[in-house]
Amino acid sequence: MKMGTMLGDVIQSLFKPPATERYPFERRAAPERLRGLLRYDPTKCVGCQLCVRDCPSNALELIVVDKAAKRFVLRYHVDRCTFCAQCVVSCRFGCLKMTNEVWELASPDKDQFILYYGNKSDIESVLARPFSRLVDGSAEN
Amino acid sequence: MNAISPLLVLLFFPGGLFILAGGLAYEWVDRKLVARFQNRIGPRWFQPLADVAKLLAKEEIVPDGVHAGLFVGLPLVALAGALTAALYVPMAGLKPAFSFTGDLIVALYLLSLMTLCTGLAGANTADRFSLIGATRTLTQLFSYEAPFLLSLLGPAIVAGTWRIDQIHLYAQSHPWLLLTQPVGFLIAIVGLMGKLELPPFDAPEAETEIVSGALTEYSGRGLALFRLGKNAELFIGLTLVAAFYLGGLVNPLAFLLKTLGLLFVMAGLQSLFARLRIDQTVGLWWRYGALLALAQLLVLIIFRGV
Amino acid sequence: MANQKGSKFIIPIGPQHPALKEPGHFEFTVDGEIVTGASVRLGYVHRGIEKATEGRTWVQNLYLLERVCGICSHVHAMAYVLGVERLAGVDAPPRAQAIRTLTAELERVHSHLLWLGVAAHEAGFDTLFMYSWRDRETVMDILESLTGNRVNYSVNVLGGVKVDVNDALRDTILKGMDFLEERTRHYLNVVTTDSTFLARTRGIGIMTAAQAEELGAVGPTARASGVARDVRVDAPYAYYPSVDVRIVLAQAGDLAARFVVRIQELFESYRLIRTILDNLPQGELEVRVSRRIPEGETVSRVEAPRGELFYFIKANGSDKPERIKVRTPSLCNFGTVVATAIGHKLADMPMLLAGIDPCFSCNDRMVQVIDQNGASRLWSWEDLVRHGIETYR
Repeated sequence: MKMGTMLGDVIQSLFKPPATERYPFERRAAPERLRGLLRYDPTKCVGCQLCVRDCPSNALELIVVDKAAKRFVLRYHVDRCTFCAQCVVSCRFGCLKMTNEVWELASPDKDQFILYYGNKSDIESVLARPFSRLVDGSAEN
Repeated sequence: MNAISPLLVLLFFPGGLFILAGGLAYEWVDRKLVARFQNRIGPRWFQPLADVAKLLAKEEIVPDGVHAGLFVGLPLVALAGALTAALYVPMAGLKPAFSFTGDLIVALYLLSLMTLCTGLAGANTADRFSLIGATRTLTQLFSYEAPFLLSLLGPAIVAGTWRIDQIHLYAQSHPWLLLTQPVGFLIAIVGLMGKLELPPFDAPEAETEIVSGALTEYSGRGLALFRLGKNAELFIGLTLVAAFYLGGLVNPLAFLLKTLGLLFVMAGLQSLFARLRIDQTVGLWWRYGALLALAQLLVLIIFRGV
Repeated sequence: MANQKGSKFIIPIGPQHPALKEPGHFEFTVDGEIVTGASVRLGYVHRGIEKATEGRTWVQNLYLLERVCGICSHVHAMAYVLGVERLAGVDAPPRAQAIRTLTAELERVHSHLLWLGVAAHEAGFDTLFMYSWRDRETVMDILESLTGNRVNYSVNVLGGVKVDVNDALRDTILKGMDFLEERTRHYLNVVTTDSTFLARTRGIGIMTAAQAEELGAVGPTARASGVARDVRVDAPYAYYPSVDVRIVLAQAGDLAARFVVRIQELFESYRLIRTILDNLPQGELEVRVSRRIPEGETVSRVEAPRGELFYFIKANGSDKPERIKVRTPSLCNFGTVVATAIGHKLADMPMLLAGIDPCFSCNDRMVQVIDQNGASRLWSWEDLVRHGIETYR
C-alpha cells in the first residue's frame, strides 16, 4: 500500500515539455496512408460505376459526357464521404486514390463540398447544362 | 498602515481588489502547475479572469422552489466573509490592516463562513444533486475544521497570544515553525486543501458523481462570486499558513516566494491522489487528523510548561 | 420528483451527467449515502441501424456496421465480414486474417487504455487519466499509420483486407508495443498499490462467479469474477486458431479485480501482436466475393474489448441482407450494475458503472415501449409506422 505512486511521472513532467501538440501552430506530417480527400484520374476510367454503387454514403456520381469516347466527370460530395476508401478498392483500373495531404476539410460554406473531377472541357460542358447545379443527382442526363 | 483611510483598505489594499486579483492569479498558478504535473500545457494567464468575466456576462437563472433572497444573497455573504478575513492577515508581507486580541479565531471563522454559505446555498435549492453536495460540504466542514484550527493554534500557543500579527512577529524572530512543529504544518496544509475542497478532498463537488455539488444550480453572477470567494480563500489561507509556519513574511518578495512555494506543494498533492469518498474523508480526519493535532498540541503544552 | 418521505431519495444519473459519456438513465434510490435500489433505462442512442442495413448492399453495410461503435468499430466489421464470408462459402487468405486479428488486438489495446483513463477520471484520479491517455496516443498513431484513420479503421473488405504490413510498419508497431508495455507495468503497479485508489476500488461491487453466470455477464467483467469465458479461446475465429490466447482471470470479482484483468489483458495483447507480426503468413490480401450472397443464416461471434459480440446474419440471395441482428456485450453487463449496486454508497456508483466499461451506442438495438397501463409489449415495424403517423397527424 503506497501513497503517491504517480510521483515519478509527476516530477519528471516538470523537466519535460508538455505532451500536447500545439495544433494548428505546429502540424505533424500526416502518415502516408491517411485517408484524406479523394482524387480521380479520368484517363483510366471506363465508366463501370462500381465506385458509385459501392459507396456507403452515395458520395459519388458519374456524369457521362461521351460514353463511346470514355469521357466522364465525377461529382464528389465531400460532405457525404466517410473516407472509407471502398471506392479505391472497388475500382479495378486504379482511377481513385485518397491523398494524405488534404484532410482539413472543414468549411462554413456548403458549396465547397461539391467537387468535379475530369477534363476541364468536360467539366465546363457539364456545368453549362441547365439545372446542373442542383444537388442530389438530379443533374444526370 | 493604520494611517491609510479604511475605505482604501477595504476597496483596494489589502482587501478588495488586491485579494480578488491575487486570488485570480493564484488560481492560475494552481491550474498551470497541476497541468504541468500532468504533462499538459495548462491555461494562459488571463484564463481565470476570462472565466469570471464570462460568468458575469451570463444570465443568472433563479430556479423554482428556492428562497430567492437567500439564493442571490448567499454568494455575496460568502465573498464578503472571505474578503473581510483578509483584513486581519498580513497580506503581501505588510502588517495586517486591523488587529485585535482574538482575531485569529475571527479570521478563521470568516473563512469558514464561505463553506457554510456554500452548504446553505446547496440546501436552499430543491435539486437532488445540490442537496447531496450540501450534505457533503457540511460533513467535510465538521471533519477538517477541528484539526485545522488546532494546527493553527500550535503557533498561537508558542507565541502566547491570540493576535495574528503578534504570532507573525514571533514566527519572524524564531526558527521556522515548520521545523519545530512538523506535524502541525502537515495538518495545516492538508487541512487547507480540505477547506478549499481541492482534490483529494473534492467529494463535495465531485464532478463525476453529483455534477457540481452544492453549486449545481448556480450560474452567472452567483457562480462568479462563489468562485471569487474560493480564490480569495486560497490566497488568504496560503498567506496564513506561510506566515505561521514558514518563518513569517517580512516583505512582499518573501510573501511571494513562500506562498508560491506552498502552492507548488499543494498542487503536487492535488495531482497524486484519487478522490476520497466523503466517509473516507471523515474517517481520515477524525482518526488521524484530530489525533495528530491533539498530540502536537500536547507536546507543545508540555514543552511550554517545562 | 424527489420523494423525501422516510429520507428516500431518487438520484438520477443521466441521461445527461458528467459521469456518462453517452446518454443512459440510471435511477438510484438512496438513503443518505447508501443506495437501496437501482434501475436502468436505455435506448437514448437508438439509431435504427439494424433496419438501415436492410436497405443497403452487403458492401455498404460493412461501413455502416463499423460505425455502431467508435471504440470497438473493427470487431463489428470483423464479425460481419466473417459471417458474410461464411455465407458466401469463401475463406479469406491467411495473411488477411492475420492482419484483421492484428488490428483487433491493437483495438483492444486502445480500448483498454481508454477505459483505464475514464475509470480513473470517475475515481477523481485525473493524473492517471491524463497519463494513460497520453500513452494511448502511441497506439492511436500506430493505427493511423497502419490503416489510415484513428477511429473507424475500415481495414476489412468482403473477402480480405485493404491494407498490408511492411517492414517499416512492423518496426514502428514493435517499438510502440515495447513502450506501452513498460508504461502498462507502471499502471499495474499504480492500480494495485496506490492506497487512495484501492480505497475506491477494493471490495466495491463484488460479484461472485455464480452471480456472473446468472446475470449473463461477459468479457472482462465476467472474467474478473472467475468465469472463464472468452470467445477467442472457446470458439477461435480469424487468425486466433494459430496463436495461443491465454485467458486472464481474477477471483475477487470486485472493481480492483476488473482493473487488474483489463491491464493483464493488455499484456496479453502485446504478446499476441508480437506473435502475429513475427509469424505473418505470406500471400494475397483478398479473394473475390460475389456481390450477391447466397441464401442462408449464420451466427458470428467475436471477442470485443468488452465481451462477446454476437451477429446474426440472414441472406436471401440478393445483394442486400434480409436481416442483421447485433447483440453487443454491454447489453449483458448492465444487469450486473443494477444487481451489485445495492448496499454501496452513492459515490461508488460512477465507479461501478465505469467498471463494466459501458458502451451505450453499441447497446441500443431494440426499443421496448412501456404502456401507460403498465403492460408492455413489443412493437413490430408496422406498429411503429402507424404510431409515427398517428402521433404527428
